[in-house]
Amino acid sequence: MRKFVSAVFTGALALCGQVAHASVPGITGASGNPVFKLTASPAYISQPDGMSIYSWGYGCASQPYGFQPFTPADNTCPQMQMPGPTLIVQEGDMVTVNLTDNLPAAAGNTSILFPGFNVSTSGGVAGLMTQEAGPDTPVTYTFTATTPGTHSYYSGTRPDLQVEMGLFGALIVLPKNPPVQCAAKGDFSLSTAAYDNPNTCYDREYLFQFSELSLKVHRQVEQQVLANANHITAKIEPYHPEYFLVNGRSMPDDMDANYAPVYPHQPYNGNPHMHPGDLVLMRVIGQGRWQHPFHHHGNHARVLARDGNLITSQSDATNTALAGPLVFTVPTVSGQTLDAIFTWTGQGLNWDVYGTAPHTCSPAPGSNLDATTKEYCPDHMKPIPVTTPDKNIVSNGLWYGGSPYLGSPVGSNLIPGTTEINTGGSYAYMWHSHDEREITTNDVFPGGMMMMLLIDPPSLPIDEQQ
Amino acid sequence: MGSLSIHARGQSFNVQCPTTTTLHPRNSITPGAIKCQEVSGGDGFATMADGNQIFLFGFGPLSGLADIQSGLPGTETAAVFNSTSDKNRALTSVGDIMDTGVMNAESPAPTMAIDEDDEFFLTLTNVGMIMRPDLFEQHTIHFHGYPNASSYFDGVPDASVAINIGGSMTYYYTAPDAGTYFWHCHISPPEHLQMGMVGQLYVRPRQNRLNSRQNLYDALLNSNLAKGSADGKLCSDILCTNETPVPVVRSPVTGGKKYAYNDGDGSTQYDVEYPIQIMGFDPNFHFVATTFNPEGFADMKDKYYLLSGRGYPDTVNQSYISTEGADGKSRPSQPVRSLIVINKSGGQKKALLRISDLSVTEFTTLATVGIPMTVIAQDARLLRDSLGNNMYYQTNSITIGGGQSADVILDATNIPTGTYFLYSTNLDHLSNDAENFGGQMTEIHVL
Repeated sequence: MRKFVSAVFTGALALCGQVAHASVPGITGASGNPVFKLTASPAYISQPDGMSIYSWGYGCASQPYGFQPFTPADNTCPQMQMPGPTLIVQEGDMVTVNLTDNLPAAAGNTSILFPGFNVSTSGGVAGLMTQEAGPDTPVTYTFTATTPGTHSYYSGTRPDLQVEMGLFGALIVLPKNPPVQCAAKGDFSLSTAAYDNPNTCYDREYLFQFSELSLKVHRQVEQQVLANANHITAKIEPYHPEYFLVNGRSMPDDMDANYAPVYPHQPYNGNPHMHPGDLVLMRVIGQGRWQHPFHHHGNHARVLARDGNLITSQSDATNTALAGPLVFTVPTVSGQTLDAIFTWTGQGLNWDVYGTAPHTCSPAPGSNLDATTKEYCPDHMKPIPVTTPDKNIVSNGLWYGGSPYLGSPVGSNLIPGTTEINTGGSYAYMWHSHDEREITTNDVFPGGMMMMLLIDPPSLPIDEQQ
Repeated sequence: MGSLSIHARGQSFNVQCPTTTTLHPRNSITPGAIKCQEVSGGDGFATMADGNQIFLFGFGPLSGLADIQSGLPGTETAAVFNSTSDKNRALTSVGDIMDTGVMNAESPAPTMAIDEDDEFFLTLTNVGMIMRPDLFEQHTIHFHGYPNASSYFDGVPDASVAINIGGSMTYYYTAPDAGTYFWHCHISPPEHLQMGMVGQLYVRPRQNRLNSRQNLYDALLNSNLAKGSADGKLCSDILCTNETPVPVVRSPVTGGKKYAYNDGDGSTQYDVEYPIQIMGFDPNFHFVATTFNPEGFADMKDKYYLLSGRGYPDTVNQSYISTEGADGKSRPSQPVRSLIVINKSGGQKKALLRISDLSVTEFTTLATVGIPMTVIAQDARLLRDSLGNNMYYQTNSITIGGGQSADVILDATNIPTGTYFLYSTNLDHLSNDAENFGGQMTEIHVL
């Protein structure tokens, strides 16, 4: 049958002894004029099937100016990481990126494209798409961060090879004037809104960069580098990836902590958490060459923007009313970014998600939802209207808390010997590529482009430092 | 809780369909009704358009059998479901369930259709997989796209519970906002979906219950007000939960027809509807599944490209397809017809295509030649901006991937009678494995 890796799951998640969460971590520069000193380097990345795969990635040439929204425990930005460091700037900043080429000589030049911006260059050597960094010739890119939102950056030199090898990353531009109506900024949010628009307020944010990896291509490159080839000639087509990555990692590694020391070159994770009622900003980037239908269980999401361009209604002169579609599956597009807002309350189920043990529901004025828990009060204290199957005739999932109700005492209805890791009784939803082949790691299920969204009960604190 | 009709229990089978509930008490004037459906989770066989028999994991009907065989949804009212004689009643005794359920998997899985304001009791009975005695697979039902879903009924086994062989689980749903959803198993999705555990599911709008004297705009406004919108015109939350923005200008259009959504202006009106599910089978994968060996996921490649379980020309076969199983018994295997008929001389003009995609390997572009498509909705949501402007667009093709859905209206008003085609422009999808003409294609007959 398929190789089942439940042991790997529990092992990986028990690593730090702490629950792992996520935010959108990255590096920053001085306000108004951020300068990023990047380099392109080789390193080996790790996959949950035990493979160490030779790859290339952007990293920091020197200590960055700063980190947001928190500094990693070791206070370093590696020389190589996949994806590259997330660059966090503000709308209107004059951004400078210095790039040095630390790739093996056989790789030749490298460069960075910043789609959506007007980029000037200095230094470097001329390339087809942009000015490039040669082995001894650094290049500098400058541009004004004119539009807020989620943007991507990636190599413009032999991109079919270099992007495949891992040379891509994200650029986040925070709005200059986030609307005052938005709720106070979360401890680990970068801003209060995605755009200068009151309909783009958010409480939490997560970044998902989707890419594929073909072992055949990486091995060819590794062999040629080790053989000191003059120039790398890699056969890329027919393209047959075995690895499908979210932020450079496969399931279950993507649910480990940000900056987890076991992945020195894959610092970012895919581990969304929220409380009921939170507005969650999904920053989605298609970094590879294939499309992936990103299905986020639990609810629809409202598309705000594509490629950092807010989609607003034609009949609103103030350009604030949203016009993006509601989707339950985000089709990622190669080279495209998308911002969307997701939320969840459990409204309309006709049963109380908090169960029938005594608890209160006090709707906020003008709303049906409890002000704190966001419980849908019209369904208060209603039990599930069916008889649930006996615990001995079902199999329990790793993230099943033992009860259909949110926040219920864990283990209450589990048969002895059941392994479960959902100690808070959260609701878990799979966020994954719906091209189901892609939720495997080289023939092993589960793996690949898969994550679990955890909707934690309101009383459970979420630490997005992890 | 109201009278709960509990059927005879055997093993751990337990089919639940109450005749009344708190929301729908006896003789109530509450809108909507109690609807029920029962499906088996197991295995079976199907016939591909090149004549090949292919092994399936699948869901089969254990209720609504006559409707399913006619290509219709198998969702029934509680009265029909609980009947002891209706040809669409549910099978609830152990003997009936096993006699019918074993190896009765169909492709696609039994279609489900409910109406807004309904309560839906959906029982999944795991009858085991006779061809794979080495497996102890659980199965689940994932109602794909259900808004504000509870984790418990979302069908993801890692996040909830999955029913073992010999047991039943009843999923409970209040009907979500109208639209084209779909459903599938969520156990080892790369395997179970590829093997065929996918089906169609849609929700009809309450606007369908209006008569020709009732104004659509007013009804939508009142519905929004009842659901929490401050002025009834705009949505009260960013996801428009249970609400639809009213059209910018009040429309004089009244009801009495069939609509895809609560549009408030009649713009999603249609005469005939056809659910079309894009899917595919990898014959090598299905073959390996019969040999007790692990199938390779990395090499998965569909070669049978299907619309609702069939490849052309079977897509235009107006009857159900039967397949002889490994036990020598012939069973209905593929009941859904995809031949689109718009009978203009009978007064029909518009066909609604409820398109869902459950391919597990790639995106598909579906196109028409001769009849333009108007795309009115995506992912079970009307294409309308937050101020009420319709964002429908005309096109000749739509491109969707697994996990997405779209609603398309074909308007034959100015189209001459004749035969047209709905087909995949991914030309390699027009094959039935090695047979190089077939696959994801069907015909549109304008009469």
